[in-house]
Parts: sequence; C-alpha cells; structure tokens
Amino acid sequence: MKPNIYNGLAVTTALVAVMDSAAAQDYGSYPGVTIEAKFIGGQQYEGLYGRIADWEALTGATVNILSKKSHFEIDREIKSDMAAGTTDWCVGSNHISFAPQYEGLYVDLNSLVPAEVLAEFVPGNIDASTVGGELLMLPRAQFDVSVLYYLKSNYTDADKAAAFKAEYGYDLAVPETWNQVKDQAIFFSDPPNFYGTQYAGKDEGVVGRFYEMLVAEGGQYLNDDYTPAFNSEAGVRALQWFVDLYEAQAVPAGTTSYVWDDLGQGFASGSIALNLDWPGWAGFFNDPEKSKASGNVGVAVQPMGSAARTGWAGLHGFSVTNDCADKEAAASLVMFLTSEESQLAESSGGSLPSRTAVWEANLEAASNGDDPYRAESLAAFAEGAKYAFAVPAIPEWVETTNIVFPELQAAIVGDKTAKQALDDAAAAVDELMQDAGYY
Amino acid sequence: MRRRLPEWFVLLLPAFVVVAAVVLIPLLFSLYSSFTPYKLTRPSTLWTWIGERNYERILTDWKFWAAFGRTVLFLTIALNLELLFGLGIALMVNKVTRGQRTLRTVLMFPMMFSPILVGFQFKFIFNDNVGLVNNVLQSLGSDAALPWLVDGNLAMFSILFAEIWMSTSVFAILILAGLFAMPRDPLEAAKVDGCTPWQSFRHITLPFLMPFIYIAMTIRSLDVARAYDIVQIMTGGGPARRTELLWTLMSRTGYVDAKMGLANAMGYVSILLSIAFTIFFFRKLSAARAELGMGG
Amino acid sequence: MDRNKTHRNRRRVLKGLHFFGLFLVMSIICIPGLWIILNSFRPTVEIMAKPPVWRPSFTLEHYRAMFGGAGQGGVPVFSYLWNSIVISVTSTLIAVLIGMSGGYAFARYRFKGKSGYFVGLMLFRAVPGVALSLPLFIVFAKVGIIDTHFGLILVYVAMNVPFTIWLTDGFFRQIPKELHEAAEIDGCTRWQAFWKVEFPVARSGVASAAIFAFLTSWNEFALASQLTRSVDSKTMPVGLLDFTAEFTINWGGMCALAVLMILPALILTFIVQKHLIAGLTFGGVKG
Repeated sequence: MKPNIYNGLAVTTALVAVMDSAAAQDYGSYPGVTIEAKFIGGQQYEGLYGRIADWEALTGATVNILSKKSHFEIDREIKSDMAAGTTDWCVGSNHISFAPQYEGLYVDLNSLVPAEVLAEFVPGNIDASTVGGELLMLPRAQFDVSVLYYLKSNYTDADKAAAFKAEYGYDLAVPETWNQVKDQAIFFSDPPNFYGTQYAGKDEGVVGRFYEMLVAEGGQYLNDDYTPAFNSEAGVRALQWFVDLYEAQAVPAGTTSYVWDDLGQGFASGSIALNLDWPGWAGFFNDPEKSKASGNVGVAVQPMGSAARTGWAGLHGFSVTNDCADKEAAASLVMFLTSEESQLAESSGGSLPSRTAVWEANLEAASNGDDPYRAESLAAFAEGAKYAFAVPAIPEWVETTNIVFPELQAAIVGDKTAKQALDDAAAAVDELMQDAGYY
Repeated sequence: MRRRLPEWFVLLLPAFVVVAAVVLIPLLFSLYSSFTPYKLTRPSTLWTWIGERNYERILTDWKFWAAFGRTVLFLTIALNLELLFGLGIALMVNKVTRGQRTLRTVLMFPMMFSPILVGFQFKFIFNDNVGLVNNVLQSLGSDAALPWLVDGNLAMFSILFAEIWMSTSVFAILILAGLFAMPRDPLEAAKVDGCTPWQSFRHITLPFLMPFIYIAMTIRSLDVARAYDIVQIMTGGGPARRTELLWTLMSRTGYVDAKMGLANAMGYVSILLSIAFTIFFFRKLSAARAELGMGG
Repeated sequence: MDRNKTHRNRRRVLKGLHFFGLFLVMSIICIPGLWIILNSFRPTVEIMAKPPVWRPSFTLEHYRAMFGGAGQGGVPVFSYLWNSIVISVTSTLIAVLIGMSGGYAFARYRFKGKSGYFVGLMLFRAVPGVALSLPLFIVFAKVGIIDTHFGLILVYVAMNVPFTIWLTDGFFRQIPKELHEAAEIDGCTRWQAFWKVEFPVARSGVASAAIFAFLTSWNEFALASQLTRSVDSKTMPVGLLDFTAEFTINWGGMCALAVLMILPALILTFIVQKHLIAGLTFGGVKG
C-alpha cells in the first residue's frame, strides 16, 4: 500500500499500523458500478469520506455523493424522496432516532453482510440497529453517550473550594450527581462572561436531555402500552432541574436556541464550567488551535440522578436502500465505511468505535501512550456507555419530540409551570399515539 | 380554412402554459392531498380520502390560530414600519443636495441579499454569546447578555428587524422616485399661501405619493412569504412557539412530522392569506391611480 | 435681528438632525453587510472570542478552506457559482421574453376578462414557496427533472413571468398607439414595428424587469433547497447550508461564501440601477 492514497487525511500511527490489513479484507470487485450516496455532512466526517477513494481503488466502483447535510436536513430529503419514489440511490446515512420512520426504504443487511463481519461489532450496537427483526444499518460509531466535560482550573482553586464549602456544606469536587451539577453551576456562574453549564434547548436535543434526566430520576417517557408517561413526579423533577438553572442564570440566556454546534463552540470558548456533551467533541475541545479550553479540559462519567445513572444514546450508521441496483456493491461500501481501519482512523478524532477490536486497540494505545487526556476521556466514555439507553424504536419518536420540545421550552422560559407544560405535552402525545393506532 | 387563434391569446399562451405547469398542477395536487392523511413516509396513504378532517383539525387547533394571528400581526407591523421608515428615508435623501446618487446606491444594498442570507446574518449578529449587538453592549459596560433570539418580545423584535432591514429599501426607492417625479408648482403655491411644511406635506406631497406607496405595498405583498426563510433560520419558530408563523408551522408539520396532508391544508390557508394581502393592495393601487387620473 | 438669529439656530439644529438621521439610517443599512465581509477575513477563534476582540486580524483561511478540496472543509464553490449563473441568467432571459409578449398582449389588445387574467397571474406569484415546494417536488420527480438545471429554470421562469408582465405592460401602455400605426403604414409588419419602434422605448422597463427576475432567481432558497440535490444543480443559497453541519456552524466560511454570493448581484445591480428605478415607477404607476 502506498501512503499517498491517504493524502488529505490525518494519518495517525494507529492507522499506519493497520494499513496492511486494509488490503486483507476483501471488498469484492465491482468495476463500472456507480454507487450514489447521501451522507451526513460535517467537518468531522470529512476524514472518513476522504477514505472512499481507497474503496474505489479496491473495487473499481465509483461513489457519487448526492448530498452531504446534517441529520435533520438529510431526514427531510429522504422523506421527500420516499414521497416521490426517487429512492434508487444506494447508500444513506442513518440514525437510530430516525431509522424506524423509513418504513420499507432500507434493506435488511442480515442478508448482505456476512455473519462473521457482524460478529466483529459490539453486539449491543447491532441489536440497537435492528428494528422489527431487520438490521437496518451498520453502525459507524458506538452508541454515543454524553459524558461530563469540565474546566479543571475550577477545582484547583483553594479560595473557590473554601467559598463553596461555606455556602453548600460539602467539598467542591467534580460532580457525581445532577444536584451537585446544579449547585456548582450556580456557584461558578458569572453572567454574561461565564456560565456554570448549558444544555441543548430545542428540537430533539432538549427532549433527549430531558428524557435522560427523566430516566435518571426514575421515570419513563412512554409506558409499555405507548401511552405517554413523562408527566410523572419524576418528570416534573427532571424538568425543574432545567428550569432552576435557567432562572438562576447559570446557563447562557440563549440556551433554548442552542443545539450541538452552539454548545460545542460555547465550551470551546472557555466560558462554560460544566458541559454534558458527546464523545465526538473530545479532540476538538483539547485542540489548542480551535479551543480556548484546551489543556484545561477534564472528562468524567456523566453524573447520576436521584434514581440512576443513565445516558441517552444515539447511534449513527449507514444503510442500503431496497431500490439500489447493486446492493452487493452498496453493502461493500457500507462495510468499508464501518471497517476496522476506518474506525481506527475516525476514533482518533474522538468518536467511539462500534467494533470490539477497535475499542481494545484504542484503550491499549491510550494506556501505553503519553496522552493522559485521551486515556481519561476513553475511560469516561467506556464507563458512560454502560448506562446507555435508546429512544423507543417507533416511527413516531421524532414527531413526539416536536410536540414535547416547545412545551419544555415554555416551562424553561417561565411561560408555564413544569407540571402544566408536561401535562399539555402528554395530552398532545396521547392524541398522536391514538391517531397512529397504538391503542 | 382553419380558424386562427386571436393574437392576444397566442402572445399570452407561453405565460399561461409555464405558470400552469409549475404552479397550477402542483397546487391541484396539494389541494387533493389536503383531503387525505398523506404521510411522506407512507406513499400509499395518498389514496385514502378523509374529507375535510385536516381542515377541521387545524381550524380547531389553537396552536394553528396562534400562528395565524402572529403571522397577520407580523405582516401588519412589518409592512407599516417599512412604509414609515421608507417614507422617512426617502424624504431625508430627497433633501440632500450633494452625494444623493451615492446614498441611493447604498439604499439598494439590502435588496441584493438573499433572504436566507439575511437570516444567517442576523442570527449571527443577534447571537447572545458572540453576536455583534451583545458584544457592543458589553463593551459599552452593560452587564447583560440579552437573549435576542429567545426572549418572547426580543425574538419577535429581532425577526421584525431582519425583515424590515431587508425590505424597507423597496419602499424608500419607490417613494424617492415619486418625490423626483413630483411637480414643484403646487408646493411653491402652497408656500406662498402660507401653508406650514406639515400642511403642504399632508395635503400635497402625500396624496401624490400614494400610488407609489401602493405599488411598493403590492410588490411586497407578492413576496410576503419570503419572511419564511429568515424566520426559519433565525429562530425556527421557537422558543416555546414564541415566533411561530404559519410558514414555519407548516414546514415542520410537513417535512419533520411528514404529515403532508395536514401541512397542505395549512398551506391553503397561507395561500389564501397571501392572496388576500395581494388583492387588498391591488384594489388600493387601482383606486389611487384612478384618483390621480393615471388609470389606463 | 433677534428673530433672525433664533431662526438661523433652528435651521442649524434641523440640519444637524437631518445629517444625524441620515447617518444613522445608512449605518443600519451598511453595518450588517460589512460585518459579514469583515468576518470572512477573521480567524474563527477571533469570531468566537469571549470577551470580544475588537481589533480585527486578517486571514484568508476561510477562502482558502472554501476553495480547498474535500477533507479540508472545501465546498464545490465553482459548481455552485456556475449553477447559479446558468440558472439565473437563462431563466431571466426566458422570463423576460415570455413576460414581454404577455405584457404586450395586455397593453395592446382588448379582450374579455382581461383584468381577471391579469390579477389571476399576479396571484400565482403570491403563492408561498414553502407551500409549493413539496407538490412541485413530487411532480418534478415523476417527470424526472429533479436536480437538473432545466427544472429550476422552469420554476424561476414561472415565478418571474407575472411580475415581468406587470412591469412591461405599464411601459407599453405609455407608448402612443400612433407610433406603431405609423410604422405599419410605412410598410413594417407588426412584428418589425414592435422591435423597431416600441421595444426601444420600453427598454428601461424591460431592464428593470430583468434585474428583478435575476435577483429573485439568484436569491431564491425555499424551492431550490427541495428541487436540487447535488453539485449538478445546487445554487449558492443552498450551498450556504453546507456550512451548517450537524455540529458546527462555520461562521467564517459562511461569510466567505456570502461575500461571493453578493458580489455578482452587487455589480450587476449597480450597472443597471438607473433602469431599475425608472422601470419600477413608470411600469407600475402608469400601468
């Protein structure tokens, strides 16, 4: 293998080590085949897409990327494709939250991907990618669970520690529970220059965060019969946490308009003390070129609620459409994109691999290596992932979040009480589920 | 002998054909789908007829009416302020003796901006953390990080500001052209007769400008839904539906919830709203023309 | 004497106010755009800095990245630019031709239901793009013209025809009928008479209709975002979204593309601005 194929790609030592095995796996030969693809877009994925040239060289096929957009945009596009019947492109980015909506769009990969390849993935990821017995996507990255990023300097200042102890009656340390996060966030805040924490405040983001808190408080989003259950005592406690932080101005005032991009940039600007965020940011946060917080970032497992430690998990992967002309070739591309070497290259940037072997390689490299930050974050991700839960695998999930999030916002900004907001949302979700024929 | 089509018909034919192909056919399709439970992800639902249930549903939904009311309010405030500012700017520029051409050129600046770009631009400027407005306020010693796009009133103000920034130029330029075209004699006569500046403005200038104002209004009313791009980018209708307009509600229902039948029903209400605005201003325009004897 | 002085003072105050008002208005008009341009030359760290950095440093990083290949945050700028130019220019030309013939029909012929046809055409222009985008998408998909220049050109022609008709109608009406009658007596056909006599008079109306059509096509987003899919047909406004990936809005990169998007519109508008104003006023008012 010639290194020049890897031009334009951040070549890591780990990658170089496995380059030989890239040739070892057989991706088949599909000369003259063109695979059309719709991918999720973003800086962090460019490295992976840069590798597609290798697959083209190996198989003789070409890849034509039809669009690269965010998940929400790609979701819109795929839905209009389904409506128009223009679904003969082959490979699409998929996500566990969206997957159940695309009824009949994607092929069951069990028939296309050899069992021994599937066995190399973390079993939980394969289970989560399976809806109604059909494996709808090959996971690209691990069940993503958010962990707690924090500014280390806040915990090394003796004056702060003393002041905190005097005010709250316990020692200032990296928080173990969500209540401690609340106390510390309020304590650290100095608006408008510095805030204790922040949270996603709209769309699916805020619902996911609320869901996470809800489970941590011992509640449930939907009952087993799919009736809404989030307007429980636990739900009110969970939502109140968001409301209290907002009222105390311990979060940026604009937080209800933030989603992931704003949050990541916010923490990287060094003006946020505690930040529950996705593993994909780990590299960015500690990059002196891009982040003011670099060198000062600590990573810990996510705190727990009054009932449990939990993590709302997302899972991103690639799927093959039913209308694809050459499903074998498409499946080969999907296998390549989720292959061991692809994942090794990607996980150097922070994202979590979905393959067992890559996990082990990473952990080993980190413990041998001289990068304590990487070791620390990997340990936190590994620990955090143990508490992962997935959202209900029903087509209506995204729709429920559209009903619920404006109500959560209404409570956060003080238009309604937490109980009232949740009751209103539950009534609307109840109607939706009835319409959908669940009961 | 074959009967020849009338010439006017032949001349208009291409226009009708292209409009029918691009607007009429899709509109008929969406009219039909508004009587079905059509879901994007389940194409077969297009063939289920549910009568006027979608309309019943939106007409009894207070969220829809809130968005509808907000849209009308938004348009009323925006159009009136655009007119007022446009008039003010035109009068000021008209008074300038040197550099008027440059000023007029600058005035046209916002017309070149794509609405979506205006949306991003003001999303950036009103960002509570790194936005220009808050940075200036904080550098001037204010302690506040004003949540421009979050607070109910501020968010409405911000999207109005963006909309007005983009569209005031049309008014200013048209009214300015009206001022240029105005005969000087009546004004001179009024001055001799001892009218105050306000009186001559109110009774001479303004009536003359009315047709120009209505043209601007009509041009704008053709395009009111452009505000969708701006609002969608800046707030997406949030937070807590505080800036939800008919168009953002419709697009979320249609594309995110995939309930196209319902969204198309909303679409029809929004089309009727646009048409009402357009017809209203067309009538005003004809009336104003007739009054000044400009009718054709 | 005394009265004169207060009078002069008052005039001075008024003049000051006038100047101040103008200054304020022009600043509000210019600053947002200038801010975009300025930020396209600032490094990202500085854009996101807290507390704000007021003394800007200069970098071409965003432009370099934008023109760079995949993997360096590059976007296919040249494809977008090319698509935008092809689509806007072609649709403008066609819309002006069709609109002119329609405008001429309205101005020169008498027929039943004329004003009804006219308002009807205008109302089609008023249909919101969001309401139209999905049904249009499905129809286009069935016909197979999704993601083609042709599809988008067709849409923009339909969008621009009504307004072009309105403007040119007003212009043709101003021209005395005697003019082309005289030409026809001189042996011209009606067609020749049109091009030789009427068209030159109506030129500035046509020019303003063209610039409006061009700006509409150049800036349109709601429909383009549905009907374009790939670099084959994506226009600049749709390309802006490339900078909002799932996790980060790249403000610097977006500003750089925005600058590229405004420039052609700016240059073109300045060239024909005289016609623009004349066209709007006379076309509309005398109509």
